[in-house]
Amino acid sequence: MALPTAFRRRPRPRPWLAAALLASAAALATAQPSPAPEHADTWRALSRLGYGPTPELIEQVRQAGGARAWALRQIDIAARDSLLPPPLDGLADDFNAPLPDIFTQFAQEREARRALRAAPASAPAAAPAQPPYSFRVARQAAGWRLHACSRPALENPLLARLTEFWFNHFNVSDDKDPARPFVGHYAVHAIRAHALGRFDALLLASARHPAMLSYLDQAQSVAEGTLQGQRPRGLNENYARELMELHTLGANGGYTQQDVRELARVLTGWTLGPNQPDGFRFAARLHDAGVKTVLGQRLGGPGDAQAGEGEGLAALRLLAAQPATARRVALRLAQWFVADQPPPALVEQLARSFQASRGDLRAVLRTLVQAPAFWDPAHALFKTPYDYACSALAAAGGPADEREVTQVLAQLQRAGQSVDRWPTPDGYQTDAATWLAPEALARRADFAMQLARRQPDVEFLATFLSPTLRQRIDSQPPPLRATLLLASPGFMRK
Amino acid sequence: MPHPLSRRHLLSRAAALTLAPRAFAQPAPGLPGPGRLVLVFLRGAVDGLSLLVPYADPDYARLRPAIALPAPDGTEQTALRLDAHFALHPALAPLLPAWHQGQLAVVPAAGSPDPTRSHFDAQYHWETARPGQRGEAPGWLNTLAGLGGGDPELARAVGAGEAMPRILAGRARVKLLPHGPGAQRAGALEYPQAREALLALYDGPDALSRAFRQGAESRLRTARDLSREMQAADNGAPPAALLERDARQLGLLMRQEPELRLGFLSAGGWDTHVQQGGVTGQLANRLRNLAAALAQLRRDFDRPGDVIVVASEFGRTAAENGTLGTDHGHGNALWLIGPRVAGGRWWGQWSGLAAASLHEQRDLPVHHDFRAVLAQVLRPSFGLTDSQLAEVLPGANWDRQLDGLLRRG
Repeated sequence: MALPTAFRRRPRPRPWLAAALLASAAALATAQPSPAPEHADTWRALSRLGYGPTPELIEQVRQAGGARAWALRQIDIAARDSLLPPPLDGLADDFNAPLPDIFTQFAQEREARRALRAAPASAPAAAPAQPPYSFRVARQAAGWRLHACSRPALENPLLARLTEFWFNHFNVSDDKDPARPFVGHYAVHAIRAHALGRFDALLLASARHPAMLSYLDQAQSVAEGTLQGQRPRGLNENYARELMELHTLGANGGYTQQDVRELARVLTGWTLGPNQPDGFRFAARLHDAGVKTVLGQRLGGPGDAQAGEGEGLAALRLLAAQPATARRVALRLAQWFVADQPPPALVEQLARSFQASRGDLRAVLRTLVQAPAFWDPAHALFKTPYDYACSALAAAGGPADEREVTQVLAQLQRAGQSVDRWPTPDGYQTDAATWLAPEALARRADFAMQLARRQPDVEFLATFLSPTLRQRIDSQPPPLRATLLLASPGFMRK
Repeated sequence: MPHPLSRRHLLSRAAALTLAPRAFAQPAPGLPGPGRLVLVFLRGAVDGLSLLVPYADPDYARLRPAIALPAPDGTEQTALRLDAHFALHPALAPLLPAWHQGQLAVVPAAGSPDPTRSHFDAQYHWETARPGQRGEAPGWLNTLAGLGGGDPELARAVGAGEAMPRILAGRARVKLLPHGPGAQRAGALEYPQAREALLALYDGPDALSRAFRQGAESRLRTARDLSREMQAADNGAPPAALLERDARQLGLLMRQEPELRLGFLSAGGWDTHVQQGGVTGQLANRLRNLAAALAQLRRDFDRPGDVIVVASEFGRTAAENGTLGTDHGHGNALWLIGPRVAGGRWWGQWSGLAAASLHEQRDLPVHHDFRAVLAQVLRPSFGLTDSQLAEVLPGANWDRQLDGLLRRG
């Protein structure tokens, strides 16, 4: 790897800290004026409803007649694209194979692993030629997310953004072995395909996908006392709890431990269907046939016409329609797109839109981008590591090659925000309190410098800077300018 | 690739930095007392009944037919006997010496007075020391780090990773130590021209600029403090599990930067709903990593005032669930290790696992508020006054049943 000549200088030991402190004492005088308002709107729209500007996107905004008009149009374009197959553009796409194929390949991998464990320790272990199937597929899937977020010509930026939002809301992780090969398929077919549809359809798609069935152990939860071999098995509360706490009602959404238990009973029998096109199977033998009560509603038992699989469907519809669910989704959207502490009136407005439209996510998004609060410069957002990586890559024209993709994935892991690998079902936070850590900020400069080594043309970013910053960057030699544009204070915000 | 800077150059430059006027002034007022505290937080609710095994309680094996640890028989195929009530998971064998030296104590039934079984709410409550409250609040380690005034630019607490855990978030400056060998490098800041140009972009009085400058300074110092010693320590050794490596870097850094008095480490993967295993298996593997990390911490935190605390947001169900794991529960064991810890014994109330003694007939009850346990540690370690204690741990009661948990210094 070659370094730009500008960096080939011997270090001059000097107390730069003292200099920096002196500078900061005098810094009030240089408080930076903002760029022009229309630039600020463009920056905001492109950075929040996508992953930041590129020359082509800036031109799109101009042709649309401004950021607001552009934003509204994106909702329709993203909705249209969400119904089309994901653009793969020649990238490795085993993660997008039909689910029965993924099941078959994964079964073979697990069989090979068992054989390896069973082999006598003295037998010479053949060095594996490449990572096992599920790890390869997971790496492909995470790599596709990086391409999708940083190449607006490949994937509509708003669709990539909403895929991230809803994936994180219904989080699964490729860190969990049984879920690993399914995570990419889940991102594309459960999340992306429903990201601008109806909330209850999205909830259902997530509930029945093998990635979620495996990640939160639903596939293994069965009626108490069901015999599997000689052993009686029973309930596992994991999915039922997170379904209410995280996916719908929220922790203070008015359910009890009894509701968790009852909902887990309702969902018994919802399990993996390795031979089914959608990977789902309802196994009546594993289902608890008794009467249950969830949030006061009676489900199952002899008198219930939809007893069996239908109970779970009814329970999901019931949860999706609760006002607490509308409020939770509204709050998450407002925090994600507007401010860490969003104005309560905006949250209220989004919740009303969610309820009035019966969970039509396009309608809720229209409400969001038409709300003055969305455009209010007072509502600042700091980029997460993923935002930062995607936006820097996008500005540089997308990933240069798969080596760079691998490198960026590793950097995101170190930064604490692995793609497709947030371990816990709550998804990551997006607030500045979590990500605006001094040491992390200093490491973003490494990222910028690394990208700058391939000399991308990112001068267009200068338009969005304050005159002071622009001047300071302009005075530097060109190889350093790209680093500074990608590491400037303005580039840390969205 | 020929590196443009030799390590020697880098180190000499980093050494020159220490001559900067402010960084190493006379010990400023700050966190009082002699102590140091390292908190190891197990995210995901560790199954405490598999760590501190109540083997003598007949309900233990009854509630957990498939996953109960076998009662001690003197071998490592069973739990390791501590006393007539409790035994230790065999994967935690590296902690036995601390118990026998009287430096490891356990409060078996501790936790939060709030009954939530949400990991995320419970962790927030724990980290802000405000059970039941989800509003914006600083982490209690941050509040503790800010006590006593002193130089506001000087960090007194350090955590591992690059994202700010809630427990460290707040007004006081804290330091983050990147995971792994990346902590030993200063990256873009190694290049003087880039460094100066970056600092010129971040020379403002705003929070972002201040953070950048703090981060740059912190990173250069960390890289200098760790690079030589970690490389020497790593020589030829296989890479340790992440937590153990974090523990090693934390110990080193807190020795090199003595104003750092509070350390925070966390590890996930304890949410064992399925097939958690017993003497071997998923949980046992994680416990081995934990034990290695704690053994490492004990080597670095052996001064008279040092305390290591190990905790989790809540416990798991007393009974195993239908998938050979355990679901979210309530009370859990809280662990204390250190020269001043009155160890070799467990503390507080233990009421067994009979259904009538359990919280909602399913979980270990909370007999001791986690804040009360922490108060027993913080007061003597940092010489806190009652009002300081109330600031750090709002609403904590003084729990007399735990008096003497820390020996007099």
